[in-house]
Amino acid sequence: MNKLKSAVVMTMAAASVLGASAMASDLNVMVETPVESLDPQIATDGTSFEVIADYTDGLMQMDADGKAVEALAESYDLSDDGTVYTFHIREDANWSNGEPVTAADFVFAWQRAVDPNVASEYSYMMSDIGQIKNAAEIIAGDMDKSELGVTAVDDKTLKVELNVPVSYFTSLMYFPTFYPVNEAFFNECGDTFATSPDTILSNGAFVMDDYEPAATAFHLTKNADYYNADSISLEGINYQVIQDSQTALMSYQTGALDMTIVNGEQVDQVEDDPEFSSQGAGYLWYVSPNISAVEELQNLNIRMALTMAIDREAITNDVLKDGSIPTYTAVPMQFAAGPDGSDFSEDQEMFSDVCATDPEKAADFWAKGLEELGTDSIELDMIVDADDAPQKVATVLKEQWETTLPGLIVNLVVEPKKQRVEDMQDGNFEVALTRWGPDYADPMTYLGMWVTDNSNNYGLWSNADYDAMIDECTTGDLCTDAEGRWAKMYEAEKIVMDDAVIFPLYTAANAQMISSNVTGLEQHPVALNRVYKNVVKED
Amino acid sequence: MKKYTLKRVLTFIFTLLAILLILFILMQLMPGSPFNDEKLNDDMRAALYAKYGLDKPIIIQFFHYVKNMLQGDFGVSYKISKNTPISQLIQTRLPISIGIGGMAVALGAIVGLLLGLLAALKHNTIWDTLATIISVIGVSVPSYVFALALSYNFGFKLQWFPMLFSQKDVMGSSVLPSISLSMFTMASIARFTRSEMLEVLGSDYMLLAESKGLSGSALIFRHALRNALIPIVTVLAPLIVDLMTGSLVVEKIFAIPGVGSLLVNAIQSNDYNVVISLSFIYSAMYIAIMLVVDLLYGVIDPRIRLAKKGD
Repeated sequence: MNKLKSAVVMTMAAASVLGASAMASDLNVMVETPVESLDPQIATDGTSFEVIADYTDGLMQMDADGKAVEALAESYDLSDDGTVYTFHIREDANWSNGEPVTAADFVFAWQRAVDPNVASEYSYMMSDIGQIKNAAEIIAGDMDKSELGVTAVDDKTLKVELNVPVSYFTSLMYFPTFYPVNEAFFNECGDTFATSPDTILSNGAFVMDDYEPAATAFHLTKNADYYNADSISLEGINYQVIQDSQTALMSYQTGALDMTIVNGEQVDQVEDDPEFSSQGAGYLWYVSPNISAVEELQNLNIRMALTMAIDREAITNDVLKDGSIPTYTAVPMQFAAGPDGSDFSEDQEMFSDVCATDPEKAADFWAKGLEELGTDSIELDMIVDADDAPQKVATVLKEQWETTLPGLIVNLVVEPKKQRVEDMQDGNFEVALTRWGPDYADPMTYLGMWVTDNSNNYGLWSNADYDAMIDECTTGDLCTDAEGRWAKMYEAEKIVMDDAVIFPLYTAANAQMISSNVTGLEQHPVALNRVYKNVVKED
Repeated sequence: MKKYTLKRVLTFIFTLLAILLILFILMQLMPGSPFNDEKLNDDMRAALYAKYGLDKPIIIQFFHYVKNMLQGDFGVSYKISKNTPISQLIQTRLPISIGIGGMAVALGAIVGLLLGLLAALKHNTIWDTLATIISVIGVSVPSYVFALALSYNFGFKLQWFPMLFSQKDVMGSSVLPSISLSMFTMASIARFTRSEMLEVLGSDYMLLAESKGLSGSALIFRHALRNALIPIVTVLAPLIVDLMTGSLVVEKIFAIPGVGSLLVNAIQSNDYNVVISLSFIYSAMYIAIMLVVDLLYGVIDPRIRLAKKGD
């Protein structure tokens, strides 16, 4: 511990000496929310993931296009049946205390992720999504964590056993829940693990040198011992949490920040600036009708009328203005690329017969639906988050619906997000405006939601054919057939769209400013929103 | 006096316990829980409740919490800084809020007092009108408007002061937030000082003192101001607590890591322990300041001191 302490002190002293001259090449980054946790198995939010990845490498990392490429793993082998991965860890991968990164570090971390005592919120990445052997049983408390299908063959060889082949498994390896933790260091820190520079161990491009829990400003410095240190250009990263959008933009304009997020209202001021851009976030905003509980919504014509009556372009262009894209598919754009490298949802017109902006068709469906129900008016309550953007979107939705569909009355019920989520979980709603962000780069992160009994299937829609298709793609024959699986997922999506299970609205985007002397920033809608390894900042 | 103080301290403790219980009940009434996130299914939520003991009856949770609190353990955060002890979260943020709030109180009290004195002594002149206008603006315009205006003009346009709070330049970066926060205090104090001073200046004993031939400054500071201070201290006390416990909007605008933003973030995410601890500390500070004020009356006003001796 003394050795560690003196090393830390020396690093800090060196950092403070270098401080003045290095400031110029520090990247000044704005984030909207503080870090929730720097414990890779506990963290769940975007800011925390981004920061953890600044100083930790996983077995794989994302390249500029979001594809999984080797990081701590030098190479990996996959067994013929697709269920056993063997990762070979780089010889030159070390922790910042000088200890080598070993296969045991991964075993320890992954066992923590499924340990019921740790109660990791992302444990399902190990079980349902990653399909690691015995993960589900351990999470349920039926098996000891030592039974997890991951073993250290030797110091630098990690063997992972899966229940079934998982086509996107390597892309999970850049997800922080799968990052390694050094057991000896963890035990030394006890409850204080990952709460200060002294209790954070790095194996990545940067080391944390100024941090405290929920800090509004913190700093990382380049890790000179990183195996790939030569390729890192930045001297450090200076994070500043700013919750007020006006302060953020003004700070950017004075040069105190190199990048910042701008909100929809500020876009008008800055949209002609060449430093302004919009980055897809892969989030799908959609309307969820409570199909099982509301009689009127059980009528397919009524649901069709509702989705056809929405003018999605008006919402993105006139209300949001942040680069969000109108979406007519149940899986949003810009986050999942198929076997041939193309975006799963690139073709936004593939379901245009059931999802489009068509007021006339909507009115026809509506009339038919009302006739079938034997009524001439319908009143619906729509629950909405009490945040700015959702409220604006809901107001426009209400207006569009009531104008196009005669006899429809929509009441907006504005609630704190916690209440809205609780109401949806309890099935206590008629129509809800909600959203979903992708957990991994595969359409299944969305399609999996509408399976019978899935906890996010709030409308309790159920279709046996659909369930069977999803099963086939996740644990069945199609696991090893990438093209076949891809085609089957389109089939499944078609069922969701034909039945108007949800009314997709738009794929969210972040409007942002990035200084013109900063290049090489990699942004992704999944797992790690921003990666700084290849960033170059010119003075 | 001893009996009086003891009684006050006992009431203090009892009030705090009652507040704690009410807070616990209020937490239960809040919609949702720290873990009703869309990404979590029922099993995972149950596992998290079990981990933090939230699956136990509320009354058991309450006694458990009180027991731990007496040992200085306020629990851990469930959401905004997962598994971090509350004491660790607060110990860095409270001094910042107290520092900026303290500067705001001092600034507001001194400037307000001077402004009020000026208005009272130059009653019905242009000075009086000017002071009144300033205090009306100070009372009616919310502090975040001042914050935005100061930030825009002195932070963004002129760049005299930093727009963002910085641990490396605490003094410099505290100037604009302190001024924004001090406006309301300044205006309230100025108005009270003016009206109290006018009342005192017109009283019989001032006439007597003046006719005894006392000089101007002794007259004003020893006789008039001292009597006028009693109601002013009463007004100032809650303002002090209010400022020291942080202001959400001003903290947001200047990106200050204070307790105000911590509390609001915690309420929004149902981070029970953070909300309870901060509300509890707020209450404790409020009651403690009121206690101090009661004792201060005796120092300022001899009548109160003498009355107590006579008890």
